[in-house]
Amino acid sequence: MSMWQRIKPFRIRLALLLAVIGPGIITANVDNDAGGITTYSVSGAHYGYALLWMMPLVAVALIIVQEMSARLGVVTGKGLADLIRERMGVRVTTVILALLVFVNLANTVSEFAGVAASMEIFGVSKYISVPLAAVGVWFLIVKGSYKIVERVFLVASAIYLSYVASGLIAAPDWSEVGRALATPSFHLDVGYVTIFVTIIGTTIAPWMQFYQQSSIVDKGIQIKDYAYERVDVVIGSLFAVFVASFITIACADTIFKSGLNIETAKDAALALGPLAGKYASILFALGLLNASLFSAAILPLSTAYTVCEAFGWENSVSRELKDAPIFFGIYTAMIILGAAIILLPIQSLIQAMLISQTFNGVLLPVILIAMLVLINDKRLMGKFSNGRIFNILAWATAVVLILLATILIVVTFIA
Amino acid sequence: MLYASEFIGRPVVDADGARLGKLRDLLAIRHGEVPHPQLVAIEVKQHSGSVFIPMHEVAALISLAIPLKKKFSEITQYHPQPEDLHLVRDVLDKQIIDTDGMRVVRVNDLELTRVNGSVYVANVDISGVGLIRRLGLGSLADRLTARPRSSELPSIISWDNIELLSTDQPMRLKVPTSKMADLHPADLAEILSDLTRQEGSKILETLDIETLADTLEEVEPDFQVSLIERMPDDRVADVLEEMAPDEAADLLAELPQDRKHELLKLMEDDEAEDVRKLLTYPEDTAGGIMNTEYFIVPAYFKAEQVMERLRETAPEAETIYYIYVADQDEHLLGVFSLRQLVLAQPDALVIDFMEKRVVTVDLMDSQDDIAQVVSKYNLLAVPVVDEQKRMHGIVTADDALDKIIPTAWKKRLPRFYQ
Repeated sequence: MSMWQRIKPFRIRLALLLAVIGPGIITANVDNDAGGITTYSVSGAHYGYALLWMMPLVAVALIIVQEMSARLGVVTGKGLADLIRERMGVRVTTVILALLVFVNLANTVSEFAGVAASMEIFGVSKYISVPLAAVGVWFLIVKGSYKIVERVFLVASAIYLSYVASGLIAAPDWSEVGRALATPSFHLDVGYVTIFVTIIGTTIAPWMQFYQQSSIVDKGIQIKDYAYERVDVVIGSLFAVFVASFITIACADTIFKSGLNIETAKDAALALGPLAGKYASILFALGLLNASLFSAAILPLSTAYTVCEAFGWENSVSRELKDAPIFFGIYTAMIILGAAIILLPIQSLIQAMLISQTFNGVLLPVILIAMLVLINDKRLMGKFSNGRIFNILAWATAVVLILLATILIVVTFIA
Repeated sequence: MLYASEFIGRPVVDADGARLGKLRDLLAIRHGEVPHPQLVAIEVKQHSGSVFIPMHEVAALISLAIPLKKKFSEITQYHPQPEDLHLVRDVLDKQIIDTDGMRVVRVNDLELTRVNGSVYVANVDISGVGLIRRLGLGSLADRLTARPRSSELPSIISWDNIELLSTDQPMRLKVPTSKMADLHPADLAEILSDLTRQEGSKILETLDIETLADTLEEVEPDFQVSLIERMPDDRVADVLEEMAPDEAADLLAELPQDRKHELLKLMEDDEAEDVRKLLTYPEDTAGGIMNTEYFIVPAYFKAEQVMERLRETAPEAETIYYIYVADQDEHLLGVFSLRQLVLAQPDALVIDFMEKRVVTVDLMDSQDDIAQVVSKYNLLAVPVVDEQKRMHGIVTADDALDKIIPTAWKKRLPRFYQ
């Protein structure tokens, strides 16, 4: 067998992989949005390495959840909202969607908070940056080509890698990091539980399942290519958590060790100091701006998509405005509301971004249970329903999330 | 009209009043050519699983609780067949796409209709009101129904306008949405005509004369003939009397000469006279398709007198939307609409508020010409006159457009008469 013949199957497989790949990686990248960056930064800056042990577990949970969403999409050829509506009826759908729209709006607000925060580093007032961003994002999606926009943002999100570089240059004590990764800790105080739920909520955000599943359905990925789609999901999830961990490490090494706190976005930029020195603020601001704009486009889009899917209205970005009026209506309303709320006199943009991610964490178990009911429906999934071990893991994740959400609500109430 | 959402989840009780469980699903089958699925069984959810009760053991579908006819132990359970349609599982909430594959809406509710003791799926409710009803806000839904809709989509689509190829595919509309008109909610006639195609005249035998006449008016003439072929003459004569004279004439024109004369003899004299007159004109002329039952008043009447006359005699006329004014020799002088009448002062004279320039058609005008006139002037009916302007009848818009618009469409036009 010649060298070429041996390589060929591999090359074919690689080509297939590249053709299928996308939904998982894109979704995971949008995951590190304004809310995400803020959450990981605050986690590192305020708690050092203390919460690092969560990250491998969060990665596993993220892979479990996103893999289920991918499997549901590939096997049924339908979006998550489609399935919820068809299997669970109008009432359940309406409740879940009402919650999702609310949480997604909160997330959109946080994206515009990200725009405002990053532009404030350049000395631009939010009253200028936010309306401009809102109009810009609207035009990009409605009048431009979504595919191109997506690519540009995706490439620009390579800025995240600067966190990895900065973390490496800061040269932390790796054995200490290793120890932190392996040492679970938990405290029952409001701040700690909140950041705990927030980290989970920002990493495994509910809109991601809807968005990823719809992208997979849109892309028309077949069951025979499912193995490749799984690779896409796993790589995306691992990359997202990898970057998240490095944001935490970089912040722990710089801000936490200096005994500082994150009060404004400018403080968070210090984490990039080891890499960029005096240009750290600029690098941080650009990264945050890119992440915020990317997600400010995708979150309203995903919301509009999901609502229309549930009620059966036309929902494609490639349609003309008049063919999908409700779709574009929801999209526009989300952007206007999201931007308008940030223009209100808000004390702390950082807090605004954190709260939205906490909401994510509270809604997540609801979505997860719906997904578990669907994926265990033999009529729907046939032999692709969950295996026993997978089910145990997934239900355990759901139970832990419900517990955490309950603890959070109770603790907040007592405090 | 029954809505599936009104009794799904309701308790099912047997003849002893014992509670069996909750109604989970409705099973329906599609017979050959009948596009509307017929309910064959209900699925009742119990703690230990589901039981299936055949439809003929269900005493009534009502929203409080669904009673069965017998004790549960005496009922032979239904065995679900693979081809059965599970309405809740497979149809409710399903995506509907249009002919271009665009998503339109979802199935928000199903309208069921009862025909001769069987329940059929009549229409698919796609309205927002249907959605609200499903949310359990029935009273709000009712209040909204009372208001006129602003949406350009019809709120209900007849089942036969939708294609359900397989249960895991979206349902597809068979006609473009732009051509969809709102359906009459109780389109019973259409279902009946679909049924009779298959089950022949058997079902017609069970109908009373009045329903039979109404039904016959809705089906094609050649099909009418096949339906009454084996029916006794005196029964047919009764039906003909009940039918509008123009429809009766059309039907008679299709029959062999002998039977036609036999039937005319059996009919009441004045009814037969109207029909005979109509039969003298060729079938596709104004004379052939016109209706001789219309409302006519003298010009010197006051508005209140017209109202009084309307109350007394209107049930006879095919349309009272237009009221014609003529002299003693039936020379057409004018016309006014019900609206004009209602708005007129009670003591106003007809001659003062009637429209003097009346659009008319001639007895021998072709159906195409009449259709042109009707659509050009946006009329609901047009009077038919001879050379001396004497009025002989009216042609209603639906009769005029009959030839141009396929029957299936005609039935979906809004009905101003009856």
